[in-house]
Amino acid sequence: MAIDERVIVETVTGMGLAGNEEGLIPAFGLYLTNHYADFYNRISFGVLGALVRENPELTEDAVALLTEAAHVCAFHTFGGIMASVEWDALVQPMIESREDWVLGMMAVVNAFGWGRFRVAELLPGERLVVELRDSYESSGYLESYPRADGPRCFLANGGMAGLMNLVYQGDITRRPTLTEELYREVFSDPRSFRSRERLCTAKGDSHCEFVVERMQG
Amino acid sequence: MSFHLAPQADLERGITTLGGRRLVFHCHHYNVFLQRTIEDALQERAPRLLVAAGMEASRSMLQGREGEAQSGSAADVLRRAADTFAAQGFGRVDIRQLGEGGGQATLDHSHYAVGWVSRWGKRPAPGCFFAAGFLAGAVAVAYRLAPERVTSREIACVAAGDERCSFRVEVW
Repeated sequence: MAIDERVIVETVTGMGLAGNEEGLIPAFGLYLTNHYADFYNRISFGVLGALVRENPELTEDAVALLTEAAHVCAFHTFGGIMASVEWDALVQPMIESREDWVLGMMAVVNAFGWGRFRVAELLPGERLVVELRDSYESSGYLESYPRADGPRCFLANGGMAGLMNLVYQGDITRRPTLTEELYREVFSDPRSFRSRERLCTAKGDSHCEFVVERMQG
Repeated sequence: MSFHLAPQADLERGITTLGGRRLVFHCHHYNVFLQRTIEDALQERAPRLLVAAGMEASRSMLQGREGEAQSGSAADVLRRAADTFAAQGFGRVDIRQLGEGGGQATLDHSHYAVGWVSRWGKRPAPGCFFAAGFLAGAVAVAYRLAPERVTSREIACVAAGDERCSFRVEVW
């Protein structure tokens, strides 16, 4: 059985992830929130703007900070999901290859409200190209700012690198414990993956596109 | 979750909305790491950004949703806001001491406090900035107040070692 994205999206959406009697959402071994896209956009673009206005040469550093947060997100969120009982019940039975871990996770993310991801190319262990439409980051950016001079989907961009690192560097298929040590080991490896947002609607493109490759081939 | 609290999902586009504003699932690791990144970068200016963003994001959603609900007293609006807050996974907030002039609210099982402690242990000062902003936004919408008239700050926080999270909302 191949990954059936529609079944995964409909099942995750149908789980009705909502707060319990404590007002918390424990799921996939995590505490989730069904948070405001506006909040993330305001604080992410707010801190970026503040740092760049005061010190334009800090632009790359500011982007790196937001990308690092996205790497942490991917490592724990995607990693937690791929190690969860929910994954075992829903996605694992559809998995036939390592690449299906990437496709399965992408289907789960499509139920999270981040927009619609589609894998355009997956070269096993080497390269991933993903298209994203209705990105909450770029569409949120354009609500409050003029057209950007560069890409703005920091979370999605770092998330794609994190996914490839989990599958091909950290070997999530063996269910390692997701420790800070493993995070550093995986992301500091010179052959680990990094993502580049080649297209972004915030800078006028028709959709967003991410190219994920190893830092050293 | 009752009908008026249920987010609307567009599965084809990967979009979920409530009160006309987009919602996205994220976990505690990302939420507290991003907050810490901003606190480290902006230092003493960070709380202002985080609280203001929380207030504006929640105010926009609550205004949109109340426009759809079109019923009830200010107390009803506040109660629905608290229910929404819990349904979204932020914790269970007691808003009974909030009114037109502001007041105090307490929060049990704060997502941000729980998440912060689970990653890094205690912090030196309160850290539930989003919750503070949410409460200011809820009071502004419930009593139809201009947002600049409402401020909110956390005066006790589980992440800072207090027994529970507590907030003071002031109306100017």
